Amino acid sequence: MSVEYNCILIRFGEIFLKGNNRKYFEDLLINNIKAALKPLKYTFLRSQGRYFVEDFENADEVTERLKKVFGLHSVSPALKVKTDKETLFEAAVKMSPMSGKFRVTVKRADKRLPFTSAEMAGNIGGALLRASGGRLKVDLFDYDFDLNVDIRDNGYSYLFYDKIPCAGGLPVGCSGSGMLLLSGGIDSPVAGWLMAKRGVRLHAVHFHSFPYTGEPALQKVKDLAEKLSHYTGQVNLHVVPFTEIQYAIHEKCPASFMITIMRRFMMRIAEKIARKKECGALITGESLGQVASQTMQSMNVTNSVVGLPVFRPVVAFDKEEIIDIAQKIDTFEISIRPYEDCCTVFLPKNPVIRPRISEAEEYERALDIDSLIEKAVENTEEIVITPDSRI
Amino acid sequence: MIYFDNAATTKVVKEALEVANLYFTERFFNPSALYHGGLEVKNDLNAARRVILSGLGAEGKVYFTSGGTEADNLAFFGSKKKKNSTVIISAGEHAAVYQSAQVLKDRGFEVKTAPVDGAGRVIEEEFEKMLGEDVSFVSVMHVSNESGAVNDINKLAFLTKRANPKAIFHSDGVQAGGKIGVRLSKNIDLYSLSAHKIGAPKGTGALFAAKNIHLSPVVVGGGQEEGVRSSTENTAGIMAFAKAFTLTQNSLKESLASVTEIRDFLFEKLSSFDDIKLISDAACSPYILAFASGSLRGEVLQHALERRDIIVGTGSACSSNKATRRVPEALGLSGKYLEGVVRLSFSRFNSMEEAKIFIQTFTEVYKELKNYVG
Repeated sequence: MSVEYNCILIRFGEIFLKGNNRKYFEDLLINNIKAALKPLKYTFLRSQGRYFVEDFENADEVTERLKKVFGLHSVSPALKVKTDKETLFEAAVKMSPMSGKFRVTVKRADKRLPFTSAEMAGNIGGALLRASGGRLKVDLFDYDFDLNVDIRDNGYSYLFYDKIPCAGGLPVGCSGSGMLLLSGGIDSPVAGWLMAKRGVRLHAVHFHSFPYTGEPALQKVKDLAEKLSHYTGQVNLHVVPFTEIQYAIHEKCPASFMITIMRRFMMRIAEKIARKKECGALITGESLGQVASQTMQSMNVTNSVVGLPVFRPVVAFDKEEIIDIAQKIDTFEISIRPYEDCCTVFLPKNPVIRPRISEAEEYERALDIDSLIEKAVENTEEIVITPDSRI
Repeated sequence: MIYFDNAATTKVVKEALEVANLYFTERFFNPSALYHGGLEVKNDLNAARRVILSGLGAEGKVYFTSGGTEADNLAFFGSKKKKNSTVIISAGEHAAVYQSAQVLKDRGFEVKTAPVDGAGRVIEEEFEKMLGEDVSFVSVMHVSNESGAVNDINKLAFLTKRANPKAIFHSDGVQAGGKIGVRLSKNIDLYSLSAHKIGAPKGTGALFAAKNIHLSPVVVGGGQEEGVRSSTENTAGIMAFAKAFTLTQNSLKESLASVTEIRDFLFEKLSSFDDIKLISDAACSPYILAFASGSLRGEVLQHALERRDIIVGTGSACSSNKATRRVPEALGLSGKYLEGVVRLSFSRFNSMEEAKIFIQTFTEVYKELKNYVG
């Protein structure tokens, strides 16, 4: 039983539900699939309710890439043959182990065929029994393998064993674009991934405090964006020079409010770039109570300077839950690289835990907010990051 | 660019590059081959061994490796040691030695750490107290990569042998060989060297083994290097190493004089900063000058200097990285100083002119950054 799969069958998920918008969703999904497979050689086909990738060189590589496309439910490496009894029997025999307990599950989209699914399952099972010389046994419930035969209405049938689960969610882009505040820590890439899963195309903004954070810290963020791009497609990373703002806050505001006011600046700048780039929301990796700046009061104070909705998909997650996802999406190892990602030199010993908006506003009066932001946005560098791009 | 990170690595010198090129393109033969070209290269490799041996002033063998780290590993894992016996290393060792010792610990050896003083030198009286018949292996670095502290390895080896003549004494000489005068006494059994710290390419090192020392291979295969280190010899790297080693040996006096002038100048200038602790002292190797700031992180200073086209090293990559704090802690640094370590390391290609530009720039940068601390 060794067979070269010549086709990968793709099932998509939730977009079935989308009624009249279905064409829009499907077009987007297909575009995303093609983008994910871009450097590979392949042919893409679609038929009612299924997509197929054929003419590829390496089934595993195609599968790995498809597993990361949001909007896909599952994929199955399959053997594609003409729908014809003898051919089907032959293919089934070629694919199956020749001992153990098995079942055959047939699905028949082509209702014109002169047999029912159950009859065909029985026939294929019979062919396998004969071929094994008695070493195979049928057991519909306690089986070692389940040979699936999907008979489509395009004249072809697809034989497969595995249904490999994909990332689920919605096709990236169908929910618009969002601006992710990407720090370099563990949480923000996970937050970005979760929102991309709901169809959000990602922009990311990173605040760079040279010389307090160096080139390795920036490289870390680029590497994180690159990992995300395997799921989300292109990520536009906006690197904002932040040192001057930090200096200004440090000089003119009380130390206990350093972080609060710094974060208010980050939100303002993120929103400004977000609006320029037509993003409909900001995304942060904040998790309630994780650190002083992530209390409800702190979030209120930082939230109050922006008009766009702020999505915090990990707000209710425990650290372990976030780490689980970070490991799954391969960002964890990058996030824990030991480079400073926030300017710890400015970290006060006792940051305020329950700041009030009025206090923050009061202290900020000492700063020329608009011109500081203007300058930072003006000097922001935009880096386009795609999978396989050398960054 | 002013490059003051020569203890990390050095630029390949022209002469070494030319030699490497010759072995890449013309004398590219496999030294194990039985035809003339192969034999000739084998002879060249043996000549390279003699160059190293004579530079160390020792009798024994030289095995070429992929670098200083592999030489240290070979010393630790290739030498004979009594099961479950005691191994002593110093608290200032490079990770290549420290991690090797940790592996021995996992294998049942007792690993003891000899304390160092504030400059990184092994405290001899403390070291001597740790010795005994149970000690089978000692590894003390010749020159500290963090501070330049020079250990009197001949004396430490003598003390070791006096306590147990069967004990093996190894020294990591990566920051010494080709930089300061090295004369290994008979008590030194193993000595590690690296090529890329002295103007040869990365990827080559050597382990000196005294006459009576038997090494088992860590890398097995075709039986090169007398079976001690298999793998086709990196002929270009080895020959370039020998060339660079010869050059540094020939210019040792001048090099020492020139880096000492730079070190002494900067030492004095840096002494006047009130929140800077000098880690290195006058007895340290003049190629290295380490200090710690009590108010600014080393990494921040490094980045700020980099922007002014000056490259320096840091002791600690980051406050959260425990591995990089091991040695600074052993040197007795604490609090903010732990994260404030900066290491300047020089080569004979650095000039006083550069030292003057450095101190001027450093003073400006330091003053500017300090405005924002606290």
